[in-house]
Amino acid sequence: MSERMSNEAVVERGLDALGASGVGAGEVFLKEARSGSVEIKDGAVENVIARGERGIGVRILDAQRLGFAHSSDLSEEGIVACVEQAKRMSGVTEPDADLGLATRPLDDVDLDIFQRGLEDRAVGEFAEVALAVEAAARQADPRVTHFRKTTASHAVASTIIATTTGVRATYRESYTGAMTSAVATEGGERQIGYHGEAARRFGELDPARIGRRAAERATDKLGPKPFKTQKLPIVLDPWMAMDLLRAIAPLFSADNVLKGRSLFAGKVGQGVANGKVTIVDDARRPQGLRSAPFDGEGVATTTRTLVEAGVLRGYLTSLKTARKMKVEPTGNARRGGYGSPSRIGPSNYFMAAGTDDAAALTNALDRALAITSLLNLHTIDPVSGEFSLGATGNYLERGARAFPVQGITIAGNLTHLLNAIVGVGTDLVFGPGGLGSPTLVISELSIGGA
Amino acid sequence: MSARDAEHALRTALSRGGEWAELFWERHQTLQIVFDDGRVEDAISGLDQGAGIRVTSGERTTYANGNVADADDLIALAGRAARGVEEGGELHDATSVVPDEVAGHSTVAIDPRDVPVGRKVTLLRRADAVARGLDPRIQQVTATYAESIQDVVVANSDGLFRTDRRVRLNLAIHVVARAGEVLESGFESLRGTNGFEMLTDEAVAEAARMAARRAVLNVGAEAAPAGTYTVVLSSEAGGTLIHESVGHGLEADLNLKGLSVYSGRIGEKVASDLITVIDDGTDPDKRGTAAIDDEGTPTHRTVLIEKGVLRSYLSDRKHAEKLGIARSGNARRESFRFLPICRMTNTMIAPGTSDPAEIVRSVKDGIFVKKMGGGQVDVVSGNFAFEITECYRIRDGKLAEPLRGATLVGQGPKLMSEIDMVGSDLGYSTGTCGKDGQGAPVADAQPTIRIPSVVVGGKLK
Repeated sequence: MSERMSNEAVVERGLDALGASGVGAGEVFLKEARSGSVEIKDGAVENVIARGERGIGVRILDAQRLGFAHSSDLSEEGIVACVEQAKRMSGVTEPDADLGLATRPLDDVDLDIFQRGLEDRAVGEFAEVALAVEAAARQADPRVTHFRKTTASHAVASTIIATTTGVRATYRESYTGAMTSAVATEGGERQIGYHGEAARRFGELDPARIGRRAAERATDKLGPKPFKTQKLPIVLDPWMAMDLLRAIAPLFSADNVLKGRSLFAGKVGQGVANGKVTIVDDARRPQGLRSAPFDGEGVATTTRTLVEAGVLRGYLTSLKTARKMKVEPTGNARRGGYGSPSRIGPSNYFMAAGTDDAAALTNALDRALAITSLLNLHTIDPVSGEFSLGATGNYLERGARAFPVQGITIAGNLTHLLNAIVGVGTDLVFGPGGLGSPTLVISELSIGGA
Repeated sequence: MSARDAEHALRTALSRGGEWAELFWERHQTLQIVFDDGRVEDAISGLDQGAGIRVTSGERTTYANGNVADADDLIALAGRAARGVEEGGELHDATSVVPDEVAGHSTVAIDPRDVPVGRKVTLLRRADAVARGLDPRIQQVTATYAESIQDVVVANSDGLFRTDRRVRLNLAIHVVARAGEVLESGFESLRGTNGFEMLTDEAVAEAARMAARRAVLNVGAEAAPAGTYTVVLSSEAGGTLIHESVGHGLEADLNLKGLSVYSGRIGEKVASDLITVIDDGTDPDKRGTAAIDDEGTPTHRTVLIEKGVLRSYLSDRKHAEKLGIARSGNARRESFRFLPICRMTNTMIAPGTSDPAEIVRSVKDGIFVKKMGGGQVDVVSGNFAFEITECYRIRDGKLAEPLRGATLVGQGPKLMSEIDMVGSDLGYSTGTCGKDGQGAPVADAQPTIRIPSVVVGGKLK
């Protein structure tokens, strides 16, 4: 077998090849991941997937022109070929005076994001998690009759970044998650409910809670009644609120701001949301699902308040955009894997907890619609901020559930939505992808229906 | 990847038990060039090579996958798959593989890898210039060129050994227009399985004009109303409707579990007599076209609904067998990292007989949808939603003011039973379909159709 080089040796060879290629500066990013998932069906394991992956991404900055190439071929020749491709790519792009590679040494920080041995756990342990999810869903409500898909998964990854400008750092992380789509049946009707959660450590997943939430999502939708086109206050539980919070994230991107694609351009120091709203991006949250010591460019990550009591405080930046804005980089150049270029995005990104009890907020509303699922979130246009989504919900009177509705739409603009958040609960919850939110009350949205 | 290497890997995969084994090998070369903010900002070259080996043992499937560089890596991967099989069962051997060729359906006259990169950049510059020249309200243009050459080998312990090369090109243009405090975007793309010859100067310029025109139209448009309306979907609007409202519900995996609104209904009336739905992985040059699916089954033209009657599902090997239906060549995977699942390829509502212009004239007060964006369906309840990126009010049979920010929601079987006019035209659109965390390139098509009453999402004044 071809001798397998260690990750460190691969990075070393990459730096050597960069040195030999005569380019101005370069960076080698390596990621190795081992992951797996177990899917169950009818109480038994159906699919077991084991995945191993390793590759490098090489960026070259030559005469202020950036080139990028990635490869899974980590033989000597493969590494050299990857560097040559990156050099070739740097000849295609146009120069930008603000481009740069990381130069500052990184601090040593333990974010508690790695559990040793997670990848060596037996398939049976993950199968047990998935089975416990389904058992809890069935136990929660006898109308839960089927599951579209239930899985338990895990991943362990190592990331190394090294630049010819003197930055070299590494970290390891682990991840485990479980999800299910439970199906509830009543009469001839069927409804589906999804819920998934993730953690950095195996023992921190709560399969019973995942099953119960999915069951509740499904049974909540049974027996819908027609709903008239109208305007109503909207209640978003933390999980639904996270979906809309995710859609707002691109507005904070310095790249979008600089290129005229963000409604937040030129708004720092101004009110962009209701005074009850505080939004934070914290890449250093202990055990956070998006926590990391450095970003995809090798810049130290930070904790940032993006919106403070309704006022926009700043943007998420990369090295280049920070230079253009003449601010400090925030370490938000995120990279999905070795093959993905850096793109500005949030880390652990959440709406801070408010001061109101969630139930009291809802009880105070004469009539309201509590959203239970949203369709088409991926079509929200962050440029215009406009959203028009399919929805299901519970119609509430003084906080009590009157009946469920489906086949409706909710529509608005993200910037108006932020200003219309009139209630923020104390019940902050973090979900998959590092998102977090408490219960939110929106003063009013247009609902399309019969 | 030789037949001998494949055979060796399959034998290794079955060495500790299991009844059947399969190897999926892939070499994926990519090039992406991003022209943004008036300059070439990114140029990215990629090579991703790997394999996935699957072993089935009773009801259980083990799938080991990873990057592989050579035959030794492949055997190591096969060993990992074998170790995942529970020991104690009867041992099966792999039949010697027999390579055979399956002819493709798309024409690649010019391999994009043979085209100088400067030519690709020129196309992006042209797209940028055409879009910016259209209107002073245009403030940003992003033009992206993406080429993807995926070479695959599928071999299994029944002796199958087939290869396919999928050349996919995507030239996409995103335009932002501004009027005062209002920002709107417009999008258009050219995507297919042809060679570089599909990206002519004229086609790229026309796509850029469309994207720019849509952005400008939307900054000046009224907010769409919310409520129930008669809607005409133009053939130009593309096929997101059929993809979401029907296609996903006909995937065999959901139907085996009895979870789709279409489960157990083969032979039953599920749509209006005017509706015939076809999935066709052999449709020449389309984005969802390939010679074989990702289990090596030749792609197929499958009539799913014929004059309103449900005829078939979209199947992979496992679900075809369990449901007792033919393999339709719809097993697809995003890459070697995933097990194949039942997916659409190119899905369409077949043309009818009505004059498209007459369909618009027939509506006194309604909405004309000229372009659809993305969509999503809840397959269990059949409720779907899709985005509208260009639409107009219809008043007295004529197109009136443009509207923005609209969405359409409905329930698949109900909506399909209510469609009362189907045009004689046909228009295609392309997209990337998401299912179970995997993306798949697809095309959709439909004629101009009329829906008498459907919920439109928008704003109330």
